[in-house]
Parts: sequence; structure tokens; C-alpha cells
Amino acid sequence: MTPAELSAATTGRDLRLPFGIALVALACVAPLFLGNYPLHAMIIALIFLLPAHGLNLLLGYTGLLSLAQAAFFGIGAYTSALLAVHFGTPFYVNFLAAGLAAGAIALPLGIPALRLRATSFVMCTLGFVIIGQAIAKNWISLTRGDMGLAAIPKPYFALGPASFTVSGTVGFYYLVLAIAAIATLVAYLIVRSPAGRNMIAIRENETLAESVGIPTWHYKLIVFMISAAFAGLGGSLYAHYLTVVSPLTFQMYYSTTMLIIVLGGGAGTISGVIFGSLLFVGLTEALRVAPELRMIAYGFFLLGLVFWFPSGFAPLIGRFWSLLERRK
Amino acid sequence: MFYTIIEQVVNGIVSGSVYAIVAVGMTMIFGVLRAINFAHGEYYMLGTFGAWFAIEYFDLPYPVAVVIGVVATAVIAVVVGNFVMQRIVGAPAEAGVLATLGVALILQNTVILVFGGSYKFFSGGYIEPVSVFGFTLAEQRILIIIVGLIVFVGLELMVTYSRMGKAMRAVSQNIECCAVVGIDVRHIALWTFIIGAGLAALSGVLTAPVNVSVYGGMGELITFKTLPIIIMGGLGNVRGTFVAAMILGIAESLVATYVGLQFRDTVGFATLMLVLMWRPHGLFSAQARF
Repeated sequence: MTPAELSAATTGRDLRLPFGIALVALACVAPLFLGNYPLHAMIIALIFLLPAHGLNLLLGYTGLLSLAQAAFFGIGAYTSALLAVHFGTPFYVNFLAAGLAAGAIALPLGIPALRLRATSFVMCTLGFVIIGQAIAKNWISLTRGDMGLAAIPKPYFALGPASFTVSGTVGFYYLVLAIAAIATLVAYLIVRSPAGRNMIAIRENETLAESVGIPTWHYKLIVFMISAAFAGLGGSLYAHYLTVVSPLTFQMYYSTTMLIIVLGGGAGTISGVIFGSLLFVGLTEALRVAPELRMIAYGFFLLGLVFWFPSGFAPLIGRFWSLLERRK
Repeated sequence: MFYTIIEQVVNGIVSGSVYAIVAVGMTMIFGVLRAINFAHGEYYMLGTFGAWFAIEYFDLPYPVAVVIGVVATAVIAVVVGNFVMQRIVGAPAEAGVLATLGVALILQNTVILVFGGSYKFFSGGYIEPVSVFGFTLAEQRILIIIVGLIVFVGLELMVTYSRMGKAMRAVSQNIECCAVVGIDVRHIALWTFIIGAGLAALSGVLTAPVNVSVYGGMGELITFKTLPIIIMGGLGNVRGTFVAAMILGIAESLVATYVGLQFRDTVGFATLMLVLMWRPHGLFSAQARF
């Protein structure tokens, strides 16, 4: 139990539901008071929320540290872009195909990688990102190499004769918000199910979990595929939002960002990941003032996160929370 | 045809020596600190920049520049070691990954901030060609192979006979026991880190005349090449690292010539995955230690 849950259980005043409703309401009206750039940052954060949920299932709940999210993010982006550019398929087809493709490719990659111990597994997943980038660069007939794929259409929906296109930042914001909300719900349902309990058991002690009859290998492989699918869906949104993809979509930067969102918010909690993505918006916004110092500040932020807040910033909120509730 | 193959193998041995000197530092750091050092390539870059700075601004001869590059890097390593690396001894794996990624970002972007992001010409070194057994080789390449051998023999002797080396081996086998018998683990960790970073810098300064250009982002590629080497060699295994580095160097050189230059940088991770499917603990370890 987090401190917040504990104090809510003892005092009987749970502020989290009203707070959650307020947050959702705030998210819904955000375009009314946010400027163009903050809204853009919010969209990026909500897009990154999908791969981050995937990574949280893998790292926070199953205990597997993976740097491969950028690879699956890139696969999703390219799948979506290729379908949209070559076949002109509607958005929901591209979106689902991106998730399926990333999840399917995770199967043959996961089988050898998941046999490895912790450190070697981390390295192997990093290798997926490097190799993915090399393929995107060199399979020129398909991916156009370094030039990338441009002019990816904005998301359009077609059902029978009716069709409409999501254009403009505000429209896209609501689309991403809805998808992120659904993804959060799916992640919540997964971790609250018996499967989620088994995942935690694997994280805490894999040998023990195996000995009580949990098929740990199958769990790890399936969670790896689900996390890849989440990353692929995020990549699809990213491609449709920026309308270009290039080999730079396969970058360590994205894996690092997703790690920051998960670990910064607090691995192993759904609300922590949401908080982490908001934190990420705040961080990119705050660092916008000095572009050349941005990456240096980012580095110091990472060090601060590791040494002063090893379980993320979300527990801080929890502490603040219990203070607030005791006050009442 | 045959001549070209031999020539490519020799080139492979040269780059293998470079990788070996970088990777052996990283594998020692891993053995003692149990952390993958994502900033390792950055020390390679710092060493090169130190030497470049000494040559460009003070017009010093190359051998002095080598010393300056390595010493400057060691000084930075003392700071990073004290403030970052010592703290991640015994921390969870993701702490090590994030902290060293943070260090990499800080070092790389500080250098770019101070010196600018453009490519710089490195003018030192011995680039005269000499002829050995009918092959023409630049003197610098021969120097790289010789220094590589000296480093490995020296390390082997140090690890086997010196007090510090024995303590390093002990810490890499069991931290708790070492702490119990009174070995100052943090002190050993700091020294291992400084030696590792210094070796990376040495390797950078040695390669700079061959690569000719120097730029702030050059460390990243080296980190990504070193990672598969240390896993293939078996984490913490010095001799295994040497063999794995040679294999990678030669494989890269052959792939660059016969398959295509653009595939060179993926050889490492592709080979790593093939090797790991066959031997999940690396080429030279009987069982997984980490």
C-alpha cells in the first residue's frame, strides 16, 4: 500500500477520486487555456504515455528492465506510415496494425532475449534499437533510408460513406487524450487482474513464482509482447502527429524518455506513470528557455532522480496527500 | 584478393586493439561496480579532446598531448567517480543505467557547449607509412597494436600480482565478503573506475590520428560498440574481452569491405544476438555470474 492508500484507509476520506475527476476535467478543457506550444508538449506526453504504460508493465510489474521500447515505437511508426502512404488506409486500421506488428515482432525477439540474465537482457534490448535503426536506414526501397517517409496523412476515419479527418492541434489533442485514457484503462485492468498479481510475483521472486506453478516464461514473453504493442501504438500516433518518420524514430533518446516517465513517476503504479508523463511535459517546457543547456540539465535531472528520488517523484505526492488528508 | 583479405584482417586487428583497450576498462568497471557504464565512450571522447586541445592551443608534441588527454580524463573520472559511480555500488540495475546515461549527457553536451558541435581536425600522431612483410601500414596503427599488447600484459600482471588487482578481483567476486574482511569497497570501486576511464581515454588519443576528425558526439558510437564486446567476452572477464574485441574488429573490417560499409556498425549487436542464442552467458563463461 502506498502512504496515500494507507492514510485513506485509516481516515476513511479518499480524496483520490475527486482529484482524479478534477484532473480528467482539467485535461478535457486544457485547449481552452493552453497555448499552442504547451498543447503540443501535452500531445507528445500523451503519446509517450502509451509506450510508458507498456514499459511499466514490463519493468514496474514484471521486473524486466528493457531499452527496446524505442525499437517497437519505431516499428509502429513505420508500419503506420507505410500503410497510410502506400494504401491510404483509415487511421484506425494503421493504428491497430502498428500495435499488432510491434507485438508480433516482439515474439521472435523476446524468445532469445528473455533467456538472458538481467544485464545481458538490457544490452540485448538496446541492440534491437540499433539494428532497427540500421534497417530503417538501409532498406531504402521500403523506407527511403535517411530521407524517411514524409507527407503522412493526418488521421482520418471512414465508416461507409461518412468520413472525417482530424486536423489541427486541438482535434489531435482530443484524439490522443481519448486513446491515452483507453490505454490507461487497459493497463489498469491488466494489473488488477490475476495476471497482474502473477506478474508482481515474478518481479518479487521469479524462482518462488515458478515453484508455486506460475508459468513465468509464458508470462514474461506475453508481457514483453504487450509492452511492445503499447509502444507500437504510440509510434503510430507519433507518425500521424508529426506526419514524418525517419530512422531517427529509432533512437536511444526515446527509450531514455520512457524510462524517465516510468521511473520518474514511480514504477509499478499506473498513476505514477501518468504523473511521470506530466512531469516530462513540465521538464521539456522548463528546459525550453536554454536549448544548448537543455541536454546538460536533462543529465543532471537524471542524476537527481536516481540519487534523491529512487522510487520516483510520485511518492512525494503521496506524502503531501496524507498531510492534506490529516489536516481536514 | 588474398592480399586484400590479409590487409582487412590487419586493419581489423588494429580496430580490435582499440576496442579491446576501451572494453577492458568497461568490463572491469562492470565487474567491480556491477553497473553498465553508458558513459564509457564519453571518456574516450574526453581523452581525444584533451589531446586535441593541447595540440591546437599549446602546440605540444603528440606524446605530451597523449599524457595530457589521459590525465585530464582521469581528473574528470575522479569527480564523476566520487559523486556518481561510488553511489551506484549495490544500487538496482536501473539506477546504474539512468545515472550513467545522465553522466553521458552531461559530459557530451558540456564538450559541445564549450568547443562547439562541429568536426575538428586532429593534426598529431605518426602517419608516415612503413612497410612490414610487404604490407604498408601507418606507424600509428603499429603503435596501436603495440600499446594494446602492453596494456593487456600490464593489466594481467596487475590483476594477478598487485594488492590492488587482487582486491579488484575479490570485489568482483563477492562484495559482501570483501566488506566483511575489511576491504574498502568504495575505494576499490573508485580506482577501478579511474583506471577504466583512463584506458578509454588512452584508446581515444591513440585512434585520433587514424580517424583524423574529433567531435563531441563521438563517444556514443564507441559505447554502443563496447557493450556487445563486454557481453560476448563474459561480463568482468578480461581475457574474454580481448578475444571478443579482436573478433568484432576483424568481423567489422571484413563486413565493411565485402558486404557494405553501412552495415559495419550493426555487426556488434547482430553477432551478440547470434552468440547469445547459442551461449547465453557469453563466449568465455561457463555460467552466468551477472
